[in-house]
Amino acid sequence: MKVSDLLQSRRKDWSELEMLCLHFESKRNVRREPERLTRFAALYRSLCADLALAEAYQLPPEVTRYLHRLVGRAHNQLYRSREFTMSTWASTLLFDVPRQLFHDEYLRLAFFVFWGAFVLSAILARTQPGFTAAVLGAEQMQQMEEMYETPLSELTQQARGAMLGFYVFNNAGIGLRCFAFGLVFGIGGMLVTFYNALNIGTVFGHMSTLKQWENFSEFVTAHGPFELTAIVLSAAAGMRMGFALINTGGLRRIVALQQAATQATPVACVGVILFVMAAMIEAYVSPAAIPYGYKAGVAVLSAGLLMFYFIGLGMAQEESR
Amino acid sequence: MVQFIPFLPATGVDAKRQLFFVVTKGWANPRCQVPNPLPCTAIPKIMGSMTPRNHQLDTSIEIVTPENVSFRYHVAGPFRRLPAFMIDVVLQAIVITISGRMIVFAMLVLFGVSGAFLGVGFYLIFAFVISWFYGGLFETYWNGQTPGKRLTRIRVIATDGQPVSGLQAVLRNLLRAIDCQPLVLYQFGLFSALMNNRFQRLGDLAAGTMVIVEEREWFQGILRIDEPEVLRLSQRIPPSFQASPSLARALAAYVQRRLAFPVARRVEVARHLAEPLARRFGLPEGINPDHLLCAVYQRAFITDTPGDVLEPVKPFQADGSSASSVPPGVVSRTDSGESPFASTSTGEGAKP
Repeated sequence: MKVSDLLQSRRKDWSELEMLCLHFESKRNVRREPERLTRFAALYRSLCADLALAEAYQLPPEVTRYLHRLVGRAHNQLYRSREFTMSTWASTLLFDVPRQLFHDEYLRLAFFVFWGAFVLSAILARTQPGFTAAVLGAEQMQQMEEMYETPLSELTQQARGAMLGFYVFNNAGIGLRCFAFGLVFGIGGMLVTFYNALNIGTVFGHMSTLKQWENFSEFVTAHGPFELTAIVLSAAAGMRMGFALINTGGLRRIVALQQAATQATPVACVGVILFVMAAMIEAYVSPAAIPYGYKAGVAVLSAGLLMFYFIGLGMAQEESR
Repeated sequence: MVQFIPFLPATGVDAKRQLFFVVTKGWANPRCQVPNPLPCTAIPKIMGSMTPRNHQLDTSIEIVTPENVSFRYHVAGPFRRLPAFMIDVVLQAIVITISGRMIVFAMLVLFGVSGAFLGVGFYLIFAFVISWFYGGLFETYWNGQTPGKRLTRIRVIATDGQPVSGLQAVLRNLLRAIDCQPLVLYQFGLFSALMNNRFQRLGDLAAGTMVIVEEREWFQGILRIDEPEVLRLSQRIPPSFQASPSLARALAAYVQRRLAFPVARRVEVARHLAEPLARRFGLPEGINPDHLLCAVYQRAFITDTPGDVLEPVKPFQADGSSASSVPPGVVSRTDSGESPFASTSTGEGAKP
């Protein structure tokens, strides 16, 4: 049988498969058409057989190339991306992530880097007069001082909605950047964490020496637990990726990185969720003209939730295993 | 020592990679780099883990499907991905600005000034989601494609050939933040892409994904030859003639590319194969070697009777997607434009 006869007999099937590919490429839900789908699968299998036999059939290179491309195209339609399902994400975020974080040495490292730098810079800013200006710069220092001069009860309440969006955009963005920078052998993440801690700690230390301290502390109390934990979490997720390149556990570096990145991504997502919750509190509870006790109550409640998440859920999994 | 051996203009052979290959591994003859495990183990491990790269000279990646057949993809390089990226960036910018204004305006009309502030808040949240999760969400729900990738026909898949999962899609797009460093010009990503054989940027490396070209090509039939000399000559080759696999490959490659050469060059190239073939078929001396190879091709691939040849298939015009496919006229690539040279003898007409 000459090649041209063979092609003559097979081309009808190939053209039909081309049409089906075209059809499925523009369709979202392919499961609705079982007849088309079974026909597609049958044609795809026979096409695979044709490609496998291309050498034996002595097909010319351009026909073989065509077959390769058509198989590739059909393959991508047959094997489609796995989408998110609510239940798997819920179980990942509620059960896998806390269990993993409970044993995560990078979370401890990020925790110590962040809080160590925070406390140190707060003490320095409180005791050394020139320190604040050196870290923040005179302009930002003055800005901060002016910002907390008016008592919270006198703030205009209209802009809260806009602030909510701004806090999400800005803070969660910082968190995700912190996560991504962790990839640079963990050092990038450490530097970003250290820089953030230095800034925040200095502001805290400096404010505590001023008369604005009362306004300031009242403002930051409620959203503090969520926001500061979120930064530490993002940094820890990034470091997990970066340090996997150094401490490979006997794997190839690239494989170690891929494993660590797969584990770290849900942690970064938990970080984003915490940032969003912190932003809601920061926009609507922190500046509200309510007694300080309520705000402290929110802080205690959120700290308790975090405790439950990290220790309660982490431990519970541990026992059930 | 380092000697650059030009290849035939084969499609898909990436010139840059070829050059890179010759520069870095000049001590090995590039012609020998067919998949053959023996030379790889014999080479001293100077390049360390880079030795398996010898299997791959161009940008194609082989994938074994669950149907137990292996097929090849072309990996998309930085310059193939740049247009897709540009489209996506422009699209994001347009969506963010337009929707932002619409949200704020709608809230202002509906709820007054405080509503407008809330609108600004929604807009910022929306901008956050778009700027960080645009790629991740599209690649998850569009089977590895964003609008830009779809327009430029590239697709993200896992390195083992499986479809990309939601987690991988989100991860590789979150890590854009590091890929675009230090000057938001993607130097890290570009550097990383040039250092591995799948053009993976850092996000791709971490997520275990790669970007492949999904070419659409309409079936064109096989190349025919309409020259009367060739058809006449093919009558003198026995109809029972069966070409061996290597001869068939050589004939197909020759016929596909011969029109790129001037006539004198064709004769020069074809002579090496045509002379033994002429002896084998007992043909007289002095036959144009170019025509003889075409005639053998005609016998080996196309029907026994001359003139009974394939008609070109009409490419489908559904959704106008046949832009990348070859126009149907190409199928019957005849030599008519050059026939005055082709019919004359070999001595003249070296330059078409």
